Amino acid sequence: MAVEIAGADIVRAAAMLGAGIAMGIGAFGPGLGEGIAAAKACEAIGRNPREAGLLTRTMLVGQAVAESTGIYSLVVALLLIFVV
Amino acid sequence: MENIGKVSHWVFHLGDTRLVVNSTTLVMTWVVIGLVLAFALIATRGRAMVPGPWQQLAEFLVQTFRELVSEALGEAYEERYFPLICALFIFLLFCNWVGVFPGMEEPTKDINTTLGLGIMGFFIAHGTAIKAKGLKQYLKEYFEPMFFLMPLNVVGEVAKVISISFRLFGNVLGGSIIIIVVTHLVYGLLLPPFLYGFFALFVGTVQAFVFTMLTLVYISVQIR
Repeated sequence: MAVEIAGADIVRAAAMLGAGIAMGIGAFGPGLGEGIAAAKACEAIGRNPREAGLLTRTMLVGQAVAESTGIYSLVVALLLIFVV
Repeated sequence: MENIGKVSHWVFHLGDTRLVVNSTTLVMTWVVIGLVLAFALIATRGRAMVPGPWQQLAEFLVQTFRELVSEALGEAYEERYFPLICALFIFLLFCNWVGVFPGMEEPTKDINTTLGLGIMGFFIAHGTAIKAKGLKQYLKEYFEPMFFLMPLNVVGEVAKVISISFRLFGNVLGGSIIIIVVTHLVYGLLLPPFLYGFFALFVGTVQAFVFTMLTLVYISVQIR
């Protein structure tokens, strides 16, 4: 029995695939960047342990900013899954 | 699993216009406001020289944010902007934490809440800039360093609102979707409390702090 594949099915499949690719590639950059930020903060705390509070705070804010591209890809992926 | 993408609506008809209200967000925002008020009442009741635990917590919060604001803006602006920044943080903290309780949903899971707060921060920052520098100087800064870079500067300012609000929204929504999916996969056994601990309590706190700090930084960039 032949299975009909309509155009809408292909669009749906492409949207799901696109969501996966968007999340996979989009999470790559922020992960790398946040890792580098954390490594540098560790180095700085090791050199100057008295400023640990300030360094941790600055690191968290910086990481959250670096994360924004990852969040954009998450929003795009969610739009592809639930809206398209 | 089925209720991931669903948003409940109240629809009102006013003449020809159709008003759609996200009912869950609205009700949960009221709940959060009630919780914040309850916290404030408990913390300030029976104030004493030797503080009780609630008073200690509230004093710690207020003290920390007072220092942060005076570091970022200087003494002159501290009195004016400290209440806003502290209130923003406490509101967002309760917003992100309220999802821990069963049957409750975070108001920040709705883009309207975060975008509204982001736009509020945008107007406050630019209003401060106009007041501090004068309209002429404020407009002149858009044409620096070259006059044809003006569109780029305008887009840069608008992008700040988008990035700050989508960051909070995406983090909270993403966390709650991961919680729903994993809870479904493990049939609600063992894992969900830890997921709530990480996504709602830890990420929620960090993101509330980041949103507040970025609003503060945007204001301080404008008055420098």
